Amino acid sequence: MGEKDLTLPDVCTLDHDGCVVCSDAGIPVRVVSVEGDDALCEDAAGNRARIAVELVAPVRIREVLLTHGGVAIGRVEEGS
Amino acid sequence: MRYVTEFRNAAFARAVAAEIAASTDPDRHYKIMEVCGGHTHTIYRHGIKDLLPDQIELVHGPGCPVCVLPMGRVDDGIAVAERPEVIFTCFGDMMRVPGSKGNLLEIKAQGADIRMVYSPLDALRIARENPDREVVFYAIGFETTAPSTALTLQRAKKEGIENFSVFCNHVTIVPPVRALLDSPDLRLDAFIGPGHVSTVIGCRPYEFMPKDYGKPCVVAGFEPLDLLQSILMLMRQLNEERCEVENQYGRVVPWEGNLQALRSMAEVFELRPYFEWRGLGFIAQSALKISPAYADFDAELRYLVPGVRIADPKACQCGEVLKGVLKPWECRVFGTACTPEHPLGTLMVSSEGACAAYYNFGRKSFEKAGIRE
Repeated sequence: MGEKDLTLPDVCTLDHDGCVVCSDAGIPVRVVSVEGDDALCEDAAGNRARIAVELVAPVRIREVLLTHGGVAIGRVEEGS
Repeated sequence: MRYVTEFRNAAFARAVAAEIAASTDPDRHYKIMEVCGGHTHTIYRHGIKDLLPDQIELVHGPGCPVCVLPMGRVDDGIAVAERPEVIFTCFGDMMRVPGSKGNLLEIKAQGADIRMVYSPLDALRIARENPDREVVFYAIGFETTAPSTALTLQRAKKEGIENFSVFCNHVTIVPPVRALLDSPDLRLDAFIGPGHVSTVIGCRPYEFMPKDYGKPCVVAGFEPLDLLQSILMLMRQLNEERCEVENQYGRVVPWEGNLQALRSMAEVFELRPYFEWRGLGFIAQSALKISPAYADFDAELRYLVPGVRIADPKACQCGEVLKGVLKPWECRVFGTACTPEHPLGTLMVSSEGACAAYYNFGRKSFEKAGIRE
């Protein structure tokens, strides 16, 4: 599957994820910059949002976080 | 992003499905419950069920927080939302959940100030921007969502925001699973554990399943390959007569969970002695309330909440579906009196609900079985 496929509407992104209202969905996002307790993050389709990162602090630029309802709840190990 | 792409590979999926088929005993029936509504959604959206042998039956569990909310709590929320000084905020699915006299969307149409938010932090922002109004966030969700409410309340307290409160309906995953395992009318072989709840609580809380009930559990991710691999791991445990908790979702779920999130939750919440679940009744220590240290932010203390208890509609069989005793299409009102446009039961409201998932994606299953659409 190529990178282009990530823009398909059923890919979990900040724009279209079912997560607004969900029970257990999480969106993987990459950290672009860190601003205090928040970080600017980007999803697989390139959408950006400010995410609260206290619960996974400290975070590093480029690492991948799992977000739920605007809050990072975990860290994604990309290499595993 | 590797996290997404590699777990949707069709060739890998077919290979894992073939391994599952090869490990299936043709004379045995396997009944596996996916606890989480997110898994139910993936199973139907990606047609996972069609890749499995007939001997493997997937049973949908109680893991959708909208679906398990009793009608009385909806009415309690509406009573707060109707107050003229209140801006009532909630997640989108909550707007359509039927109370005894309507839902939040209808109350909004009648003039109540009800706003859909993506995050409890958005509700806190609304409170900052409207210092002359009272902003209430209607919190629902399992341990995946509870940390974001906890973090929001910690920020509200730190910033001294006084016009913000939370109507707390957060629930916990282990007590209802234990209640299901104690249920005499349900026979299950194994469990697919909820992935993102486990990001927060870790895998250790599921150890009672093999230890006390002899049921294996595999914590699973949400992409199609995650689910197929988890089913294969469970089949191997069953065939090898092993019984343990395994973690398929290691790239996200640490065995010990997220300790920072658990500390936040412990500061902001405490366990309720009991809580009512739709279809399952009252379950001890199965939900969270705001702790005394954050009592100033507890909407149930700030407002006169009626605390009503209302029986589910008689025709609705959500309880049996939640327990996995009935399939969604076996409910007497499925697809007739109860549809996503006009839901009677909560399982038809949320996109994660078993009935909505069947209705939207699973038609082939009951068409194949010769059942009415």
